[in-house]
Amino acid sequence: MISVLTIARRELSSYFRTPSGWVIIALFLLLTGLVFGRFVLVPGRPASLRDFFAVSGWLLLPVAPAISMRLLAEELRSGTIETLLTAPVSGAGVVIGKFIGALTFLIGMLAPTGVYVLILERTATLPLDMGPILSGYLCLLLTGSLYLAIGTLASSLTPNATLAFLMSLFTILALMLAPAAAEFLPVAARPVLFAVSVSDRIADFAKGVIDTSHVVFFVTLAVWFLVLAACALELRRWR
Amino acid sequence: MRNEPTLLSAFGGLGWGVRFTEGAAWRRPMVNVQDVYKSFGSVHAVNGVSFELRPGQIAGLLGPNGAGKTTTIRMIAGFLYPDSGRVMVGGHDTMDSPAGARRRMGYLPESTPLYPEMKVREYLHYRTRLFGMARAFRRKAVDFALERCWLTNVASQRVGTLSKGYKQRVGLGAALVHNPQVLILDEPTNGLDPTQIRETRELIRDLAKERTMLLCSHILPEVERLCDRIIILAGGTVRADGSPADLTRLRGAKYVVQAREGKLGESDRLLKLWQSLPHVEDVQGRKPSPTAGILGSPGWTEWVIGAKPGAPDIREHIWNAAAQGGIALRELRAETPTLESVFMRVLEEAEENAPAPAAPKAPLAPEHKEAAA
Repeated sequence: MISVLTIARRELSSYFRTPSGWVIIALFLLLTGLVFGRFVLVPGRPASLRDFFAVSGWLLLPVAPAISMRLLAEELRSGTIETLLTAPVSGAGVVIGKFIGALTFLIGMLAPTGVYVLILERTATLPLDMGPILSGYLCLLLTGSLYLAIGTLASSLTPNATLAFLMSLFTILALMLAPAAAEFLPVAARPVLFAVSVSDRIADFAKGVIDTSHVVFFVTLAVWFLVLAACALELRRWR
Repeated sequence: MRNEPTLLSAFGGLGWGVRFTEGAAWRRPMVNVQDVYKSFGSVHAVNGVSFELRPGQIAGLLGPNGAGKTTTIRMIAGFLYPDSGRVMVGGHDTMDSPAGARRRMGYLPESTPLYPEMKVREYLHYRTRLFGMARAFRRKAVDFALERCWLTNVASQRVGTLSKGYKQRVGLGAALVHNPQVLILDEPTNGLDPTQIRETRELIRDLAKERTMLLCSHILPEVERLCDRIIILAGGTVRADGSPADLTRLRGAKYVVQAREGKLGESDRLLKLWQSLPHVEDVQGRKPSPTAGILGSPGWTEWVIGAKPGAPDIREHIWNAAAQGGIALRELRAETPTLESVFMRVLEEAEENAPAPAAPKAPLAPEHKEAAA
C-alpha cells in the first residue's frame, strides 16, 4: 500500500517538474475561463454552469489522454520500468499507483475552477442551485477516471507516448460515438453500442440527475481498463 | 513443466510475500537458478542454466554479447519469468513469492535507467519507500547510500544534470539503499573513469563482505580481481563455472621447457620422452624465443608441454625424466592460463561447428599478466 502511494506521489510530482503538467493546466483553465467569461457570466442569463461543464467534458477528450500518455510509456521508453518491476510491487500496484497519481493531477486541474462557482454565487441575484453543479463535477470526475484508465491501458502497451495518446483518444471517441455508429451496424450489435455510450450518460449528469447505474458504469469500465493494464504490464515478464 | 501466466499473476500470484522455504538462512543458497529456459519468439536466449550462489559469494557472469547474460540476470531480478525452471532468491521463488524475492535483492540494470527530474536524495528516498522500508530507517539508509557511493555532494542535484559516472553511482546507490542481501549488478563500472572504476571496485568488494553478489561484466580483469566465482555463459548455457583458480587449472596448465639434445621434429627423442610423461596431453616444439636466452645457441630446443585438464603440477616429472635421460635443462616453467585465454578457449569449445585452432591467445595486457601471477 505504501509502495502504491509512493508511485502515485512520484507520478504527481513529476507532472509539476516538467512543463507538460503546467501547460495542460494553463490551457485547460484558459479555455474554460474564456467560456465562463463569455457565455456563463452574462447579465440576464440564469446562473448555471452548464456551458462550463459541457466544454470541460469535451476538453477532457484531448486532456485526459495527454495526462495519461506518459504514465507507463515513458517508463518503458527510458527503461525505468526495469527498476519498477523489480521492486516489490505487483503490476496491479504499479498501475493503481500511476492511475491515482494521474487522477490526483486531474483533480488538481479541476480545483481552480471552483473559483467560477464562487464568482457566480457572488454575482447571481438568486441563490445558486448547487445540485447541477455537484453532479457536473461528479460527471467530470467519473468521465475523467474512465478516460485516464483507458489512457493508462494505452500507455502500458507501447513505449511511444504519442501512440499512447492517439490510441486512448480514438478509444474514447469510439465510446462517445458508439450510438451514432449503430445505424451502420447489424441490429444485434445495437444494444451493446447504446450501452457503452458515454455521451448519453454525460447528458443525464448535465441535467443534474445522478443515476447510480451511470456511476456504476463509469467505475466498472475504468476498473476493467486498469485490470487490463495491470495484465499487460505483468505479461511483459512472460514475453 | 512449462510456466504459464495466469490472471492472478497480474496481482502477484497467491503467495504474495507469504511462502517461505524452511531451513536455516545461512545454509541456504541465496540465489538458486534451477534449469532455467527462456526464449523470445524463435530466439532461444537461455537454454537450461543452473547455478547456486552461497551467502557472501561474489560471482561474475561472463560471456560474449548475446550469450544470455542479461536475460539470466533479468530472470533472477524477477523482471522476466523463465519459460521453464525456477529462480529462488533468499528462499523465495521469483514467481510464487515475488515480493519476498524482490525485497531481498538490489538490482542495477545495464543502462542505469533513472528519473531525470528527481533529485538524488529524493530518488533514494523513493526507492526506500517503494521497498517498504520502515520510516525510522529510511533517512539513515539514504544517508548511508549517499556516503557509500560518494554522492553526498550531489545529493540535492537533479539526476538529469549529473555526469554519466555520477548517474552510474546513483543507480548503484538505488540498488543498495534498501540494504538487500543479494546485489545484482549489470556492468557496474560502465562509463566510469579509471579512478571511479577503482573506487567502485573497492566499494563492490566492501559490499560483498556481508552480501551475495552477482556481477555481469565483459571486462575480464575486473571480474578476475573482484570475483571468487566465475560463470561463463555462451549460447544460453553455462560453459564453465568455478573459482578463477579452478577454471585456469581445470583448463590445463602449459609447461615451457628448454632442453639440449635433439632437434625439432616428429622422430625426436625428446618429443617421445615428453609424451610418455603422465598427465601430458600434447607436446609442441618451438624455437626459443629471442628474449628467452642466448640466441640460437646450438642444441637447445624449447618445448611447450600441455597438461591434461585438472592435472596436478607435472614439473617434477619433467625434471626427473630429464635427469634420468641425461638431458640438460635450462628452463622449466609453468604457464598457467589467464582468465582471458580460458575464456577464449571456452568460447571456442562452445562453437562446435567451427573448431578453432587449439593455441590460446598468447599476448595479453600487462595488467592481466600481473593478475594471473
